[in-house]
Amino acid sequence: MKHLRPQEHWGWIIAIYLYLAGMGAGSYIIGAIINWFINPSRVVLIRGLALDPAKAALLWGPILVAIGAPFLILDLGIKKRFLYACLNPRTSWVARGFLILSIFIVFGLVLFAKSVLPFGWLHAESDLWYIPEVIAIAFAFGTAIYTGILLKATKSIPLWNTYLLPLLFLVSALSTGSMAIILSTLGTGLFSHDTGALEVLISGEQILVVIEGIVLYLYLSRRYRVSEQGKDSVRLLLFGKKKLIFWGGIVLLGFIFPFVLETIAAFSHGNVVLIFVSGLTLLCGGFFLRLGVLSAGIKEQIPMQRWTEFQYDLKAINTKDLPGD
Amino acid sequence: MEERVLVVDQQKCTGCRQCELVCSVYHTGSSNPSRSRIKVVKWEHVGIYLPLICNHCEKAYCIEVCPTKACHREPELNNRVVIDKNLCIGCKTCIMACPFSHPFFDIKEQVTVKCDYCDGDPQCVAFCYAKAVFFADADKIQTSKKREAANKFLESLKQIR
Repeated sequence: MKHLRPQEHWGWIIAIYLYLAGMGAGSYIIGAIINWFINPSRVVLIRGLALDPAKAALLWGPILVAIGAPFLILDLGIKKRFLYACLNPRTSWVARGFLILSIFIVFGLVLFAKSVLPFGWLHAESDLWYIPEVIAIAFAFGTAIYTGILLKATKSIPLWNTYLLPLLFLVSALSTGSMAIILSTLGTGLFSHDTGALEVLISGEQILVVIEGIVLYLYLSRRYRVSEQGKDSVRLLLFGKKKLIFWGGIVLLGFIFPFVLETIAAFSHGNVVLIFVSGLTLLCGGFFLRLGVLSAGIKEQIPMQRWTEFQYDLKAINTKDLPGD
Repeated sequence: MEERVLVVDQQKCTGCRQCELVCSVYHTGSSNPSRSRIKVVKWEHVGIYLPLICNHCEKAYCIEVCPTKACHREPELNNRVVIDKNLCIGCKTCIMACPFSHPFFDIKEQVTVKCDYCDGDPQCVAFCYAKAVFFADADKIQTSKKREAANKFLESLKQIR
């Protein structure tokens, strides 16, 4: 890995942005589907207003995305110019992402407000509402996939330049999103263990975690073989300076802990504390996945650098001064 | 007017970093190599110096990924690729996209900056006493570069044998 260092321009701020955008979109997809098929409702009177916290627990994804989007602005050099970021959607994925996220946030928040708040004049039961709901779900998928495509668009970094990355981020978005839904409904009695609904949710979540693990394995093994810098990136993540993020953050917190704890919880009649802890570790794992992939990105070498390295090795051999790493 | 390009002869570079100084003075008014648009990478103990410049690529990734169109091409000025400081938001996407590690983030101005051929009179060329950087006609440089590269490769092969 001599002379090569991973990129340092996109760090933890961008990782939080990718993570919250993915998790918010994933939780909206899962929540909206549950809302369509089960349509749970718990109307509560608060100061005379008939609010529905059950819908809030299912459809709060756009709020997460709206919290995540300012992190991208926080990473900009000149933050007040953030609105310029949509000027080139023809070729730039940052600009396209700006539009995708904005549309999702607007549609998602409107649907969230419509479902939770008692706006009678909105005719919440009208079938016409299916149109914005379908649009919001489509853009939620777009948001989850976009977080991977943003990195994929960086063609000079072999670790990122693959269609498996958007797929990995989509599966991770769905698994963290469904866990966010489980956590937000936990203890409210909305999906109790006795009715079996919680069991179904957790089983679905576990299947998503297994799929995510398979996609992660495929992703890393393909990247290891694709080029020298792809190999360096994977080695950096698995055995190099980033190994703590990978083994501790991604594997232990993101896969092993939640899977084991959820299995134990299934045998102990849906122990709320176990599910809560496994949920938190899984959500942390989702963040570390983004951070790991971001921080291990190494650029492809240009021919000039290869040429120089060739000469470097040659001179070093001639001067009996072997290069160190 | 014929199109001209910046060319580096890495063998001639002595690593004096004069180019970095004059570039930063020309563009920022301060003698601060960290804000220069040309960077010399050094392997001091084996005497290798590699000036990194912008290639103003024909298919420029920096233009493609720029979300604000700040990074654009100016065909009338040697077909150069430049960044409009008034449009740049400092998202660093172009830095990530460039395979040649070229655009640099200017900490002071909080925008990304890159080589603009000093509006037709590159200061690095004017002040490089070793003539390692030169500004030549794009059409003519290719043949001589290919010949040079072939000769260098031949020499290296001889050394290995």
